[in-house]
Amino acid sequence: MNALGVVIAVVSVAFVAAAGVYVTAWIDLVLARAVAGLEVRPLDALIAPLRWAAATALKARTTTERPDAEAWALAPALLAALAAVGLAAVPLAPGLLAADVANGIVLFGAAMALVVVAVFLQGWSPNSPLPMIGGYRFIAQGLSYEIPLAVVLIAAALPARSLAIAPIVTSQEHLWNVVRQPLGLPLYLMAGLGLAFWGPLALPEGQDLAGGSSLETSGASLLLWRAAQLLVLVAVAAMGTAVFLGGWLGPLLPGAAWMILKTLFLLIPLIATRHFVARVPTERYVVVSWAILIPLSLLDVFAAGIQALMAAR
Amino acid sequence: MGLKTAFARLAAGAPARCFAIVGAGADEIAPWLRLDPELAIVDSPRAADVLLVLGRFNEDTLHAAAAVHDLVPPPRGVVSWSPGHEAARGLPFTDAVALSDPSEIGSAAVRLRDELLSGRRASSPDILPDVDPAPWRGVGPFGQGGAGMTGGVPYGRPLAGRANDRDGLKLDQILVRVGPFLPPFPPGLMLDVKIQGDVIQEVSMPAAALDDGSSVADEHHSSEAPGSTEAMTRFAAVQHDPFIAALMRPVPVADLELARARHHLAWLAEALRVSGLEAYGRRVLKLARTVRPEAAEPVDDLSRWLRRNLSLRWGTSGVGVVSASQAAALPGGPVARAAGDGRDVRSLDPAYQRLGFMPVVLEVGDALARWRLRVAEAQQALTLAKRSNGSVTTPSGLVEGLRGPMGARVSASTALVTMLPELLVGMEWGDAVTAVVSLDIDMAEAAVLHDVAAEGRAS
Amino acid sequence: MHGIAAALAIFFVTLVGFLILRASERHIAPSKSTAPARVPFTGGRAPDTHAWNRYHVRYYPMSLLFLAFDMEMVFMYPWAVVFVDEGLIALIEMLMFIVILLFGILYTWRERALEWA
Repeated sequence: MNALGVVIAVVSVAFVAAAGVYVTAWIDLVLARAVAGLEVRPLDALIAPLRWAAATALKARTTTERPDAEAWALAPALLAALAAVGLAAVPLAPGLLAADVANGIVLFGAAMALVVVAVFLQGWSPNSPLPMIGGYRFIAQGLSYEIPLAVVLIAAALPARSLAIAPIVTSQEHLWNVVRQPLGLPLYLMAGLGLAFWGPLALPEGQDLAGGSSLETSGASLLLWRAAQLLVLVAVAAMGTAVFLGGWLGPLLPGAAWMILKTLFLLIPLIATRHFVARVPTERYVVVSWAILIPLSLLDVFAAGIQALMAAR
Repeated sequence: MGLKTAFARLAAGAPARCFAIVGAGADEIAPWLRLDPELAIVDSPRAADVLLVLGRFNEDTLHAAAAVHDLVPPPRGVVSWSPGHEAARGLPFTDAVALSDPSEIGSAAVRLRDELLSGRRASSPDILPDVDPAPWRGVGPFGQGGAGMTGGVPYGRPLAGRANDRDGLKLDQILVRVGPFLPPFPPGLMLDVKIQGDVIQEVSMPAAALDDGSSVADEHHSSEAPGSTEAMTRFAAVQHDPFIAALMRPVPVADLELARARHHLAWLAEALRVSGLEAYGRRVLKLARTVRPEAAEPVDDLSRWLRRNLSLRWGTSGVGVVSASQAAALPGGPVARAAGDGRDVRSLDPAYQRLGFMPVVLEVGDALARWRLRVAEAQQALTLAKRSNGSVTTPSGLVEGLRGPMGARVSASTALVTMLPELLVGMEWGDAVTAVVSLDIDMAEAAVLHDVAAEGRAS
Repeated sequence: MHGIAAALAIFFVTLVGFLILRASERHIAPSKSTAPARVPFTGGRAPDTHAWNRYHVRYYPMSLLFLAFDMEMVFMYPWAVVFVDEGLIALIEMLMFIVILLFGILYTWRERALEWA
């Protein structure tokens, strides 16, 4: 309503984003050590992201022969800004919503659609063959996960008769969407992995491209890029919690606590896919996404539609 | 205390991020670098603090090593190691920490990194001269280096030209010089790949690709008689000891098979890493280091886990198919056996025959078959080692090495490298990398080993 | 309106914040860029040409299909809000729309236009 409200919104999103990125980095490290058979030292792992960040920040930022300097500078900032907007669309508790728009699903969808631009710019700007291949691959990946992502969110909006997130959460008072729309959460998580180019869908940054779109990045740019990527993962988990796992609903604890617990619960399998699922081959992923995942998502929306009609009767 | 010092102190506790340049003679060390808790091997020199230079190099690879060194962002340092008693001779690094004991690599890298970050040591200076690749400033009507809109050499390099493609569109094709030190590819492999979009159109190999560091060493060892013990010992440092020894004298079957199992598991660890499963790859690498014939259950568990992991199957099934005729052209080895060709030198050895050895053969010949075959061979090797009970091989001039018969006229790696161009054409980049990794090529073996056979037979 | 203002503010604050952090690196890790440090990395050898080219985007048939589905999503957003009020008719109309597009996917898949290598 006023400048103070906006400032509070900005600060709170910044705080949640920083905490979320840090926790994600910590969980990833702990899981990596556990899967690698190393001794997991959770307290050491707490400070390890800071060590990596400090070591990376101390390196000089390199450039290439004829990069697109403005786009290269913009890419991590754009990715982080889009992820922050996506995170801002998710309510922490009834009444605690940074971006209180009438159609939060559309805001989230719009922010996530532009992620393709940010990652492509990161790959294309250095004017180097391997990052460029990574950038163009990401467009193929992005166009393929976009439709299932949007459609399952629409399916979750059907029982709430609204595109705003808060009504969607309250519509799950009797039954969470993960139960009454069983196809929704798995499809959403698969699309979310693609959005954050994480784990099986880390196509633009795969080891086969020797680091891909981040190959020529170093120093603060690399640090900011990783932070932005983790923030996208946090935003995906937060939105998934609100839309499928009932958001702030739950007994005993305050709403915000439930929201945080459930987001962590969703973050862990998202992060773990990196250590258990191999990277998918680009072309085959595109075929599977269009031939299988999109029809499944459309089936999901129709099942949700029929359910909503019968409930209204 | 400024921000920089605070960061340096914070960074001091982390493993040193290293980019590894592997030359000839570093086979014993390079696969195990990722196990070192003090090292974090990175995929790109731009993400590294320290450059690890391991082994011997020839002129072309030395130039490439210098180029990679200049890509590491400052503050940077170099840790080098060379096999035998030779120091890092011929290397252009002025400031390198030269080691003779490979086990010190981790601690030396961490110490170097700490000194660099805290400012106690100066960053290693550039080696190559600070000159533009081609003179372009002020040349041409707009100073872009030549005439015409895309003519000349803007910023020192021309723009790519068009080429035909199988779907009728004539778009640009760039030449990617996959150099000696691009991480997913075997160190030392140089390919000139013409790529349109992300599909490979043409692969050629520059003449230097099959040459290795032995040409640098050769100048200093020309007084050795071919086939002499000095020559064999020198090559033994380049290759895997039990197998070279088995060419000349009886070697316990258990030693050979254990080395084979260890190598196949180490290969699997790298293949898993390239497929995206870095943490699991490290787990397999630790298993490769510690596995013993008596304690082979973890390998069986690994084999079961691999079979059940659908994502790995999805990434390797149908990729890089080696046809039966191509397999027949190879001298043998796991790649040929995965394509249906059952040749294995071990079948002719009486010790193996007594153990009831049958070579593992699969039919399909794709990357998945090669993965499965190597895991199965590792399991079989451990079983053979356990049951061998001290029996020894009979030297016959040929030994079934890690990648094919050793002592033959053409080594398996040479044949595989020669096969690469026709195999990779038409493949998408990711599939091409999967195929090359699944072939398990050793560039040092490709260059050197066919000399060993000649020298071994002369003695 | 407050929501949109907050969203825009968050977007621009994050964008500018990251740009400032990136620029501040100059004080922590300064360096002069030299010609050999600027060569794109493909393993150690210098490239022949610039990487920028008329890249053969082989998934262009899939992107055309994506446009069709994108327009369908544009219709699905308001449809979701009024759906329950409109009843079965809304469901059937959207079903018809989607079945037509699904035939498009079926055709594309059969023609193997989604694959490219």
